Amino acid sequence: MRHLPFIAGFCLLAAAMPAWADRIGDISETSVIEQAKRFFSFRDPSVRYALIGSILLGISCGLMGGFIVVRKMALFGDTLSHAVLPGVALGFLWNMEKDPVAIFIGATLAGLLGGAMVALIRQTTRLKEDTALGIVLASFFAVGICLLTRIQKMPGNKGGLDEFLFGSAASIGRSDIILMAVVTGLAVLLVGLFYKELLVTSFDAAFARAAGFPVNIINYALTLLLAFSVVVALRAVGVVLVSAMLITPAAAAYLLTDRMHRLLGLAALFGLISGVMGAFISFLTTNIPTGPLMVMAATMVFALAFFFGPRHGVLMRWWRQKSRSARVQRENTLKAVYHVLEAREFDGEGVSLRELAERRRETLDEARAQSDALCKHHMATLHDDGDAIHLTPEGWQRACEIVRNHRLWELYLTNEAHIAPDHVHEDAEIIEHVLGEETVRELERALNHATRDPHGRAIPGLADLTSGSTPFGPPETVTGYASR
Amino acid sequence: MSVNATKTVEPPPLEFHDLTVAYHKRPVLWGIDLEIPKGQLVGIIGPNGAGKSTLIKAAMGLLPLNSGWVKVFGEPIGKNLKRVGYVPQRESVDWDFPVSVMDVVLMGRYGHLGLMRRPSKKDRNIARDCLEKVKMLPYANRQISNLSGGQQQRVFLARALAQESDIYFMDEPFAGVDAATESAIVTILHELKAKGKTLLVVHHDLPTAKEYFDSLLLLNMRMVAYGPTEEVFKYDLLQSTYGGRLTILSEVAEAVREKS
Amino acid sequence: MNELLPVFEWQQHVIAPWTTGLKSTLWIVLMGFFVATACGLLGNYLILRRMALVGDAISHSVLAGIGVAVVLALQLDTVTLFIAALAAGMVTTLIIEIIHRYTRVKQDAAIGIAFTSLFALGVILVSIKSGKVHIDTECVLYGEVALVPLENFKLSLTPALAGVIDKLPMSEVYLRGNELVMAPDVVRMGFVALAVALLIWVFYKELLVSSFDPALAFSLGINATFVHYALMALLSVVVVSAFESVGAILVVAMLILPGATAHLLSVRLPVILALTVLHAALGTLLGFHLATWLNCSIAGAFVVAGMALFLLAWLLSPHDGLLAQWHRRRNLKLEPPEEISRTPRARN
Repeated sequence: MRHLPFIAGFCLLAAAMPAWADRIGDISETSVIEQAKRFFSFRDPSVRYALIGSILLGISCGLMGGFIVVRKMALFGDTLSHAVLPGVALGFLWNMEKDPVAIFIGATLAGLLGGAMVALIRQTTRLKEDTALGIVLASFFAVGICLLTRIQKMPGNKGGLDEFLFGSAASIGRSDIILMAVVTGLAVLLVGLFYKELLVTSFDAAFARAAGFPVNIINYALTLLLAFSVVVALRAVGVVLVSAMLITPAAAAYLLTDRMHRLLGLAALFGLISGVMGAFISFLTTNIPTGPLMVMAATMVFALAFFFGPRHGVLMRWWRQKSRSARVQRENTLKAVYHVLEAREFDGEGVSLRELAERRRETLDEARAQSDALCKHHMATLHDDGDAIHLTPEGWQRACEIVRNHRLWELYLTNEAHIAPDHVHEDAEIIEHVLGEETVRELERALNHATRDPHGRAIPGLADLTSGSTPFGPPETVTGYASR
Repeated sequence: MSVNATKTVEPPPLEFHDLTVAYHKRPVLWGIDLEIPKGQLVGIIGPNGAGKSTLIKAAMGLLPLNSGWVKVFGEPIGKNLKRVGYVPQRESVDWDFPVSVMDVVLMGRYGHLGLMRRPSKKDRNIARDCLEKVKMLPYANRQISNLSGGQQQRVFLARALAQESDIYFMDEPFAGVDAATESAIVTILHELKAKGKTLLVVHHDLPTAKEYFDSLLLLNMRMVAYGPTEEVFKYDLLQSTYGGRLTILSEVAEAVREKS
Repeated sequence: MNELLPVFEWQQHVIAPWTTGLKSTLWIVLMGFFVATACGLLGNYLILRRMALVGDAISHSVLAGIGVAVVLALQLDTVTLFIAALAAGMVTTLIIEIIHRYTRVKQDAAIGIAFTSLFALGVILVSIKSGKVHIDTECVLYGEVALVPLENFKLSLTPALAGVIDKLPMSEVYLRGNELVMAPDVVRMGFVALAVALLIWVFYKELLVSSFDPALAFSLGINATFVHYALMALLSVVVVSAFESVGAILVVAMLILPGATAHLLSVRLPVILALTVLHAALGTLLGFHLATWLNCSIAGAFVVAGMALFLLAWLLSPHDGLLAQWHRRRNLKLEPPEEISRTPRARN
């Protein structure tokens, strides 16, 4: 139920995407529905490959991204994705054509070399992690750019630089797909087989080492798998934005769940969705490269999770905050009603709105609004043409609880924590709303079931709270444990 | 008995009133009420998680206050920063930073310089004197990572001395320090006190607390006791401080954090 | 491999540019030097504050600012670019703070999300309009110092063509698309470099204290948050100025390499700053000659040269270099241990 806002937002987004695509790109005359059918029907081979490729890259990036995000390796992922560029260039040079296997091998080797260099710099110099990452990122990338621009000038060159930098899903061919499928399958398999090893080393490496896990090997393996994902995504997303596909879907998943296996699943799902959406829009428009579109799709998903995530989403938290404040308001009103009644020694049931307003130092209208809220929550009923308020049994119970909490806490702070009596009121104003029943029992015990607060007022006891049906009996039953 | 109109009574160096401080929304200090007179060497002791460092940081204005206030010489701390010296914990700093010992001590003088001024000869001399006092002058040109724990602590102390403040806050200056450094620091603390400075020192070791400080503040999320050492260093008060009887406070603090 | 590595000819590749091609050589080398100096000096403070990759982030997201300017069909003159870059830089910093403060997403992931999203946005915006405005994605992204657009004809500075360029008066040498003149570009970059150096000199102690010990900075009355945002703002301005010559992507190298190299060679900040400038000069010079030899991207060559210098320093640094460490380890087995106790280096 609480996932509803997120899912609703998501469906809206998905429906809106083609409309935006329409406004930003040059779309051919056939309608969007036609295009969608063509895209998803797998008839067109290059389109088919683009679609399958996006799905594969989404899954593998999402999966690896999950580990990166929890290990705080996001910037390492970024470095790795830039460091593969010279490998791509060299792989290209191997055969002077875009042989996916050669490029794959070259890219992986370059990635591993980059990772090793980062570790080496960290171990042998005073430079910190972020500096080491930056050095490798920038240098390797520059070497790659140098090589690629050199290649562009060579005779017989077939490369397009933009493709490598920003991706082009349309250029994915059959052999690319096979490679991507193999690599993704391998990644999924390894993560599945070695899930617990990966989990324990991600969470607490020191503990894992002490428990005998080969932490270093596992880390190298993870780096390798990461390099694989980078290479898989390279064609479609481009070198610069691969790290986004690693981080963003996983971060969105991170906001939505507290369990690792669900995180990985969600990350893969979001990766897949972003990939497909990006490819689809790239298909609809003619002049926008695929990579940025996929990344924007992933960012939108993240934004949805950021605002509407059921537990951690910003809007949801704000809404929860508001309902909490409303509850606190209601409880304060109940407390005020109790105080008014107490002031006249519980003579009579009703409290006029005017008395309530005076007590709480607010206007009559505000008091009316408060009592309406109480009525809505079945804590009170209105009498005398809406001018007086009577508490229901539930309302009475809650009122007693609040007053009891407040006074117990004041007593505790004064007696046990030795805080000056005139300082304890403000604290108690806050604490009274959050004390749980367990804690209240403990407090009562610690204070030897005292019956008076630091200001000499009675603390409503158990008898009053469980008396329920007729709150207003003879005065004695309402003054704590006096009857015991 | 006429009142001398020209003589003004200076407000106490440090005053806390109903101080409640939260850390990540979890209340760590409750309702601290305290007034510390001039020329006192006060030790703050309590168990781990008692809020000792938090109290110092709140006094310095480094943490927001949930309620209450702090006054340094009668003013909010922002107005009196120059009169406050701070010796933080050693872990708070990157020791690979490319500065020398002298550079660090000179930083203590920055508060006395304007926005774009450079340290003058006088500032350098003061820095040198402070280094001499902590017996670190031979190391003046060394980069700070080439120092032992005790030496690092002394550099921090020299920096605080260079600030020439009237009130000093120190966060565990004796932690992880060799015996020679420890006695050197104690000597300096007493010298400062003799000059009329006020010192608030977070301390981690009970036996030495009795020796080093004139007054003690026993802290465990709230103030258990404050007063001259002989009066306060008593079994039942220490038991209150270090014993776990106030778990309720922690539970409630946790509840506040969750529900807000 | 013959095709990959052309023959190295001393006369052609080292001497000729300084004689026959002097004018254009000078402009290019100066531009590179100014960019490297401005970025390198500023980058030192990023390194000290452990924010090296935030520099990377900002330099990518500046593209978004430019993209917005392009979409709004604004004139791409200096002032507009500066403002666009500044805005983009501030937005990035804000987004990072918001994500990282209001959710449990950590800072590194927040940085990654912020800049990649903005960068993607920028590329999309620029692509949409690229038919209509002469901004070349390639040029903006990885720059091309010596692009001489005669209509849409892209040249690179091979020696054979250097002579042609030289015959045109500098004022008529245009960079493609933006209609910005090259000589004024270099001068402007020079001013930026000078401004950075000046600001660092004037606010030396404020920068020092807030980088070293923010708590002390606060107690001295220095507002560390303000310094942080000011640094980010300066970074955005420097980045956008450097755009045209080395492009967004390679600015990161210029931010980190000079400072990192200098850090390997000295432990005193003033010396480090001086060495940074030296690295900028040497790297630019060597890089230029590398580019004329290999006939490749000049900006890339600057960085490769800078990297080579870094590797040299890493290896040969008198106290901290790999050789020195190896040497020490060898000698340690022969001599008794020293008295000085070193604090164990805290690994962050």
